[in-house]
Amino acid sequence: MNAVQTFKLTKEFDSLVAVNGIDLEINKGELFSLLGPNGAGKTTTIRMLCCLLKPTSGIASILGHDVIREPFAVKKLIGVSPQDTILSERLNCWENLALIGKIHGLSSDTVERRSKELLETMGLMERAKDQVRNFSGGMKRRLSIAMALISDPQVLFLDEPTLGLDPQARRTIWEYIAGLKGKKTILLTTHYMEEADFLSDRIGIIDEGRVVALGTSQELKTSIFEMRCMVVSTENITAEVMADLQSKYSRLEITKGRLKIYHKELDFKRIVDYLHSRGVTVYSAALEQPTLEDVFIQITGKKLRE
Amino acid sequence: MKFWEIGKRNLKEIYRNPVLLGFLLGMPVAFMLVFCAAAGGGEASPIAMSIVDEDRSQNSSVFIQYIGSVDAIELNEPVYSQESQAQEDLDEGKISFYLLIPSGFQAAQQTQQTINLELVYKAADPMIGLQVKPIIEAVGSEFLGMAPPLNVELKGTESIIKNPAVNFYAPGIAVYGLMILISTAAGIIAGDREKGFLARMFTTPARPSDFILGYSLPFIPVLIVSTLIYLGVGMALGLTVVGNLGHAFLIFFLIGLCSIGIGMIVGSLVKSESQTGISWLFIVPMAMLSGAWFTVDRMPSVLKSVAGFLPFIHAIDASRAVINGSSFSAIVFDIYWLIGWAVALFAAGIMLFRRTMVS
Repeated sequence: MNAVQTFKLTKEFDSLVAVNGIDLEINKGELFSLLGPNGAGKTTTIRMLCCLLKPTSGIASILGHDVIREPFAVKKLIGVSPQDTILSERLNCWENLALIGKIHGLSSDTVERRSKELLETMGLMERAKDQVRNFSGGMKRRLSIAMALISDPQVLFLDEPTLGLDPQARRTIWEYIAGLKGKKTILLTTHYMEEADFLSDRIGIIDEGRVVALGTSQELKTSIFEMRCMVVSTENITAEVMADLQSKYSRLEITKGRLKIYHKELDFKRIVDYLHSRGVTVYSAALEQPTLEDVFIQITGKKLRE
Repeated sequence: MKFWEIGKRNLKEIYRNPVLLGFLLGMPVAFMLVFCAAAGGGEASPIAMSIVDEDRSQNSSVFIQYIGSVDAIELNEPVYSQESQAQEDLDEGKISFYLLIPSGFQAAQQTQQTINLELVYKAADPMIGLQVKPIIEAVGSEFLGMAPPLNVELKGTESIIKNPAVNFYAPGIAVYGLMILISTAAGIIAGDREKGFLARMFTTPARPSDFILGYSLPFIPVLIVSTLIYLGVGMALGLTVVGNLGHAFLIFFLIGLCSIGIGMIVGSLVKSESQTGISWLFIVPMAMLSGAWFTVDRMPSVLKSVAGFLPFIHAIDASRAVINGSSFSAIVFDIYWLIGWAVALFAAGIMLFRRTMVS
């Protein structure tokens, strides 16, 4: 049984189709990312899976429980950290955690023990008795994730967990999430490709309500890019050398001393040796890795942050 | 007891918010202090009156002396003999109003004809006329030996009620203070709805009934504490409770429930940024029509009907009545009216709040 499963999951708002027939199968213990630009349908998908929105059509289930017919059973199994850091601002960390924990039916002792563990893990123990309205964005985000974890849920939904955070705070959150891998099934949404790349077991690229690509980060990159790219910083390259390379490789680009060679298979050493043999000065050479941004552009024809 | 956890959280959000508390408790208390002090919190100062005596007769002189003997009035000197002088002083702001005793006063009195006295004041200051007119009518009727047009019988309550102004204003302002619960309840619900806190809570395994109880019950202790504070301040200012305080408390409790119901309706329907404005759109006109500050008797009949339909005037009239000594049977209709409104408003509030849980 999959931890999360959807079949043709669709949500329409009047004439807008926010989620358009999404099929997902997320395994137990897997960290799955939905990567896409703002408005792609990521949050709407999560809201349907958390029983906050009724799908217009299609099916969704969490550990075998249908989100429409068994919302109460689903809510017992999930933990949610929403996109906006939504906390009770005049409560302290202990009180925020106790609120969610006790609604999940945990005893006072369990709530206290788990709160202590989570506050220590999240580095919030020193400020645990302060009202959270005075916290920084990063601290609020960490508490929000702790609140999602207090009930020890089997499935964790993290909606844009590092949105608006500075790089250092983002890196800290990534480390916490990476520490949960394998222990929980996690569905994470993000529009940061580095985040999806760093954390995910598998990634679903979502655009205009559809999952347009699905696989591991490496699979996505290699499946999309049949050609590899080698970048060489050079000097005194001649037209004759260029013509020779042109005849051997699929595509060449040269701008400001940077030569880019595109071909299905590239032999790094052979190219460098050839350039040396023709008297071309080579300062550096590297095989360029495609990014998820490249994958997104290749599939949708637009940038991720557009 | 999941509702209890939600309720506890909401109660903490209220009592840890000094701005909200200050508004809820501070404003009515400040109003009470100002109104009760202004309307006779201590000994009321006599009203300074100028007189124009155009008759200059023996009877008019005696009448002037008679007016001067009334405690509530202090006569300005000298008595004008011509109205033009008094008018000039009125225009220059030296006097605030004058009473004109016309020529023919003595003759009219002797022949038992109608006597017309004129009370002249600046149109911009109509309260003077309203305050002084009944005094002159009463004094004039007594002096002239005519039966007064209205017999006001107080039945000795003056000896029990230390300060009638406080007994008038304090219950009204207490009800007004409880109207502020509309804004308090609407603010919490609309804020949590808009910021997504409610949505976050809806991902937890709490039932709709937990949310309904959790978002309505916390306002009840707030309502009780507010009422105790309003009554406490009123008593400190000289509120005399002649009747049954428990009955008064029941009235305040019911009108507080009405306010919470309206707050739930507003909070479920509007955005948090506009809830304050919309809440006050309810509070201010309803306060105006409640009789908290002034009587609605002189309002047009349409407004009087609207006021009578709403619950607030019933709460104020009934609470004033029981505080001043009326029995429970005298306010039974008001109590039923308030119960009806409280049930209807709470039902509507719950229905609309429940709707926010379903997308």
